[in-house]
Amino acid sequence: MATEQELSDFLKSVERRAFKRSIYHVRDQEAALDIVQDSMMKLAQHYGDKPPAELPMLFQRILSNTTLDWFRRRKTRNALFSNMSEFASAGEDGDFDLLETLESLTNSEGTESAQEATERAQVLRGIEVEIQALPARQREAFLMRYWEEMDVAETAAAMGCSEGSVKTHCSRAVHALSKALSAKGIKL
Amino acid sequence: MMNSHQKRADLLQDRFALKTVAYLSAATVDLPHDISERLRAGRAQAVSSRKIAKMQTASNVVNTGTAAALTWGSEERLGWWGRIGAVLPLIALAVGLLVINSVQDDNRARELAEVDSALLTDVLPPAAFADPGFVQFLKTARQTTTVE
Repeated sequence: MATEQELSDFLKSVERRAFKRSIYHVRDQEAALDIVQDSMMKLAQHYGDKPPAELPMLFQRILSNTTLDWFRRRKTRNALFSNMSEFASAGEDGDFDLLETLESLTNSEGTESAQEATERAQVLRGIEVEIQALPARQREAFLMRYWEEMDVAETAAAMGCSEGSVKTHCSRAVHALSKALSAKGIKL
Repeated sequence: MMNSHQKRADLLQDRFALKTVAYLSAATVDLPHDISERLRAGRAQAVSSRKIAKMQTASNVVNTGTAAALTWGSEERLGWWGRIGAVLPLIALAVGLLVINSVQDDNRARELAEVDSALLTDVLPPAAFADPGFVQFLKTARQTTTVE
């Protein structure tokens, strides 16, 4: 059984990546924060007594399901208030701007030259834009497999699909990213 | 040959993917301060909710004993009315069982009495006098009456 400290440490180790992943999916900073917080609450309330080794898989699954729930809720809300939301979304202040994230990265790099920092920020921005442009399943498979460092079997279990599908999603995602970044003149 | 090509393609794919996510990881290090704080607050809230749930479960079991089974998962502790409400059905069940037992005994005795009276008041069939045991019974009964 995970102790309180182990649970806290685990959440601390995954919360930032989870937040970024959620942003790539939902493209809304507030929604991404809500999703991550809901996922952490669900993990603590329902699976807080599980061994620490089981927490990563459980959290990935909960995060995926919570993101799906968010899309379902938004779909329902949009169906009900489609006209109102069109007007409301135009003037919202909470729209996520990728440059805001990059700004802090650029400012914090004291040892890096300004040119290098700018180039790095541009590469990151290009990568993030292309990752957001990927189909949802490809993006999910790619981020779980490589960013969360899960193996193929774990990714398949978390996504509820076969291992073959995970390999296909990852391969397509890498090819799409490679092609798109090359077209932008970005070399990794 | 084909296999080595496939392996090489997989290797290149993995290498590209890892380089890509290295950029993403670098971006997570310096999240805006307000985001970091909100994540930290969310984490603290999640961890504290786990602790509360655990403590309430333990206190329910220890303090309310068998009555905990009747709370239907409620997290509130039982008051006096709750305890009376939990014990009352058990008392009603015990009283009910005693009443049923008594009524069953009465019914059984009444049924036996009815059978006995029916046997005693019924006319004897002629075949009964052919039964040696019954004849002996009549003789004994007659002798007893004479002696008296």
